Amino acid sequence: MGSLAERNGYDVGLHLLDRQVIGADDRLIGKVDDIELVIDDDGALVPTALLMGLPALLPRFGPRLGGALARAHRLVREAAADQDLPLVVDFDLVEDVSSDVRLSEPGHGLLHRMAHDRAADPRRCRVGDLLGIPVRCPDLPRRSKVLDLRMVGSPDGPGEHRVESLIVGPGRPGALFGYDRRSEPGPLAVAAVVHWLHRHARIVELGEGVEIDHEAGEVRIVAGTSLAPLRG
Amino acid sequence: MKRYFAVLLGILTAIGGFVDIGDLVTNAQVGARFGTSLVGVVALGVVGICVFAEMSGRIAAVSRRATFDLVRERLGPRMGFLNLVGSMLVTLLTFIAEIGGVALALQLVSSLHHLLIVPFVAAAVWLVLWRAKFSSIENVLGLMGLALIGFAVALWQLGPDWGQLVAGVSPAEKPEGEGWATYAYFAVALFGAAMTPYEVFFFSSGGVEERWTSKDIGVMRANVFIGFPLGGLLSVAIAGCAATVFLPAGVAVETLGQVGLPVAVGIGKIGLAVVVLGFFAATFGAACETGLSTGYSLAQYFGFPWGKFVRPKEAAGFHIILLLATVVAAGVLLTGVDPIMVTEISVVFSAIALPLTYFPILVVANDPDYLGEHVNGPVANALGVFYLVVIAVAALAAIPLMAVTSMGQG
Repeated sequence: MGSLAERNGYDVGLHLLDRQVIGADDRLIGKVDDIELVIDDDGALVPTALLMGLPALLPRFGPRLGGALARAHRLVREAAADQDLPLVVDFDLVEDVSSDVRLSEPGHGLLHRMAHDRAADPRRCRVGDLLGIPVRCPDLPRRSKVLDLRMVGSPDGPGEHRVESLIVGPGRPGALFGYDRRSEPGPLAVAAVVHWLHRHARIVELGEGVEIDHEAGEVRIVAGTSLAPLRG
Repeated sequence: MKRYFAVLLGILTAIGGFVDIGDLVTNAQVGARFGTSLVGVVALGVVGICVFAEMSGRIAAVSRRATFDLVRERLGPRMGFLNLVGSMLVTLLTFIAEIGGVALALQLVSSLHHLLIVPFVAAAVWLVLWRAKFSSIENVLGLMGLALIGFAVALWQLGPDWGQLVAGVSPAEKPEGEGWATYAYFAVALFGAAMTPYEVFFFSSGGVEERWTSKDIGVMRANVFIGFPLGGLLSVAIAGCAATVFLPAGVAVETLGQVGLPVAVGIGKIGLAVVVLGFFAATFGAACETGLSTGYSLAQYFGFPWGKFVRPKEAAGFHIILLLATVVAAGVLLTGVDPIMVTEISVVFSAIALPLTYFPILVVANDPDYLGEHVNGPVANALGVFYLVVIAVAALAAIPLMAVTSMGQG
């Protein structure tokens, strides 16, 4: 199994989200329900923590359904101040990412609730908030959305991690099923259908001409910005 | 020597564990109504479950990921959850049918009404799930399930006109009194009975629990490619027995006792006793498998500790789910619902739920990130795509056929 350390970058939605998290003691801890990103002063997005638990998972069920489910979960124990705060695992603890996410510490008692001020920090956002938000760009079909975030670095290696580019296009996040980045995908019939459905999907590097508006929940791309095809 | 013995044991338990209440009931019903004209569908279903189980077993061996891990990783939380709900409902329905089947098998022996037996069966299933070792459940019940070979012996002893049975395999030999819609409905039911989704949840989760590695792929394949088809032959023998005894008399199969009756005709009381033991083992084994599968699916979706290989204390959530599922199953049966009817519904809904888990497994089986050099080859992919189409057609056709034929009455 190729570890992510052997690659040059990875897609967050495809390779990290929803993976099983396992402690150093081999205990199953939970799933990567969401990932916290810090927005640097220059707009770069840097992953800081894996988020777990229903408060991280439920909002990912979509804007309407997710909101309703999160509110319902809040009501289950209204008296608890931390009912809507997810559990946090620092990104530094991630030791290896293959078909599961291995941590460098044992699972027992590892998870803590996120602090209130951290949850309210406007400089932090979640991958789940970015996936699926609309993309406004004259060169892309109107229904385009953020389909995935591509990172540089590897979560288990040294060096910096940050979101390098966005995969954008019409469709639903996750519906590429990983057919975007392999040269010899099979079965041919399934790959052909997925490629055809995502024939308008493109990769756009973060930087000049690309603005992520976290408040409005949309991405604006200036006309003429370089859009690379998938599997380039 | 020990290794050969382990492989043989695996194959034997795969044969004995292949048949469950859905196979027993559906094959007997179909044999009694359609003769051997639907045997082709059983073969189609058996090859299908081999393809499906081999892919998920290979993924479990190489990447240590079981079915619902993959469902969530590939379909995301939202589609994955829909999938979880659908699959859980079907698995629970099958669980209810299996517990009912155990109670019916014991009713044949004790003459007590099955409702009186259900609570004890449910308690026994839960105790086994809680306390028994994974391998002992699999081996003891799988080997006891081999008693169903009685059906093959009975078919031989009944001395049917073999030429006629073989000639009847063609769909053109459908009895004239039956419509094509009913024929298609029972085809879907048989297909669902052979390719029940829980078999794959259980198989792949079991592989992860037994810590298969890529070295075990050969043994896993032997179990699947030898054990499952031989188990499928038992299904065909059940249909053949019913076709020989009931079809000429125009009798419909409505009880578990009737399923075993041709064996009594063919080889007498002892034979009947043997296959009733087989009924018990097959349904009890499948009850354990479906019960575990409810816990496996939920735990794998949410990521909390699961399995029989960790102490119950360390997988408390998993064991609570098993307990709840058993209580719910017993509760549903105690309403007096007919377990045979639950079985009939469960096999059709199995066919409907199948694409939900089949598709993500097919995609991941092609993903070198998970499987490295063990990705699907051209043959596995050709079969994989063929079955993707077959499964999709069966799933789409199931509900309209169910409505048109009033669940096979028409």
